[in-house]
Amino acid sequence: MARPHIEPFCDRDVPFKPMKLKGFGGGMHYKMLSLDTDTGACTMTVKLDGGYAQKPGFSWSELELLVIEGELQVGDKTVGKGHYFFVPAGHAMPAWRSAQGCLLLMMYNTGEPSLVESDTHHPDARTDRYHETDSYNDIPWALGNVTKPNVASGCLIKLLNFNDRSHALTFLYCMTPHFWQDNISYHDCAEESYHLWGDSWMMQFGTVPTGGYFWRPAYINHGAFASELGCIALGRTDSKLFNHFHYNPWSTVEENQARAAARTAERDPLLYRWIVQHGHNHPHGPEDFEDTMQRIGGSRKYRSVQPDKNKPFAHSHGQHGQHHHGDDKAHDHDH
Amino acid sequence: MSFQNLFIPHQRNKEERQWLDEEIAEQQLRYQAIVKAMEELAPTRERWYAEFLDRIQTRGFNVDGDMRVKIQHEDIPLRPDRPHKVVY
Repeated sequence: MARPHIEPFCDRDVPFKPMKLKGFGGGMHYKMLSLDTDTGACTMTVKLDGGYAQKPGFSWSELELLVIEGELQVGDKTVGKGHYFFVPAGHAMPAWRSAQGCLLLMMYNTGEPSLVESDTHHPDARTDRYHETDSYNDIPWALGNVTKPNVASGCLIKLLNFNDRSHALTFLYCMTPHFWQDNISYHDCAEESYHLWGDSWMMQFGTVPTGGYFWRPAYINHGAFASELGCIALGRTDSKLFNHFHYNPWSTVEENQARAAARTAERDPLLYRWIVQHGHNHPHGPEDFEDTMQRIGGSRKYRSVQPDKNKPFAHSHGQHGQHHHGDDKAHDHDH
Repeated sequence: MSFQNLFIPHQRNKEERQWLDEEIAEQQLRYQAIVKAMEELAPTRERWYAEFLDRIQTRGFNVDGDMRVKIQHEDIPLRPDRPHKVVY
């Protein structure tokens, strides 16, 4: 399996462990936040002791790194709090030093942590993808409407990385004090977050404080949302982000998946017909639980389309794929 | 999951394999602790659900951004007769 659902978790609850993997040297300590059990890809909070030194080298895995606290010297450049690096696999980084020590968030995206001593890039490295930024000072906060439907006012973002193939995102986000948003969401992608500072609350999981973390696979309900004090966090998705909002707290992952497919069929009918139905126009598509779930007033499906008992052969197609018959006589449809 | 980014194939050595096995075992314990904590949160969560279902009828449901729609009482979902979980 890939990464399991780790939510909620707070790294303040566990101690740092010394990094034993070869290449990293003494003075590196980490807390594992989540780990892909197949590939070894992982996200860790990392503490470098004062005086830490690391030789130039590259990783077999793509690496994203954010400085949480302190200063890190990378080659002849010193970076501080909020500095973000996107390092492609095989891209050789210069030597690291940290005179006073620092705290980092390190995300190995495609394999376990590794450091191969080298002052040249691996021949397969996509060096053109390397970038870095002082995210606290060089990027302004923007509205959180990176997708529609979008989050409520008071949730702002700074985009740090966009994968043009998968549409995976890495971003800082913040919630203003007393932020709230009354809907339940799920996505077609995995989502990850680490709280750099502050608190946020989700109706399923409770309050997450500074150091709070989640890795959430696709289609899992989360929200409603709130933040009492406000927060700043690093967030990521592993593919395109789409907010499937609804208000059924009890829907399952399977129901959410089917609803996502039903909505895709409605939103992108030609694409859906071509890819999923191989060009056939099946009238009975995936089920949207919002049409069928039990409500206080009864299921919507049966509320809106009522058979006329006075017309024995009459029936109506009130909604896509759903219909009622006034009797039980067999007959054929022309579709 | 996959970020569909570049991965350079390489041989995982014995030390890395052992490190990974230890981390997987620890993660399993972490996961079980989370599941337990979330089960213990169930009574509080039920109250939060009830408050949410009340708020979307009075203050409104966020359809998109700050656009809110008040949900009719008859449209409020009923709890299904099956176990409920939030961690998968």
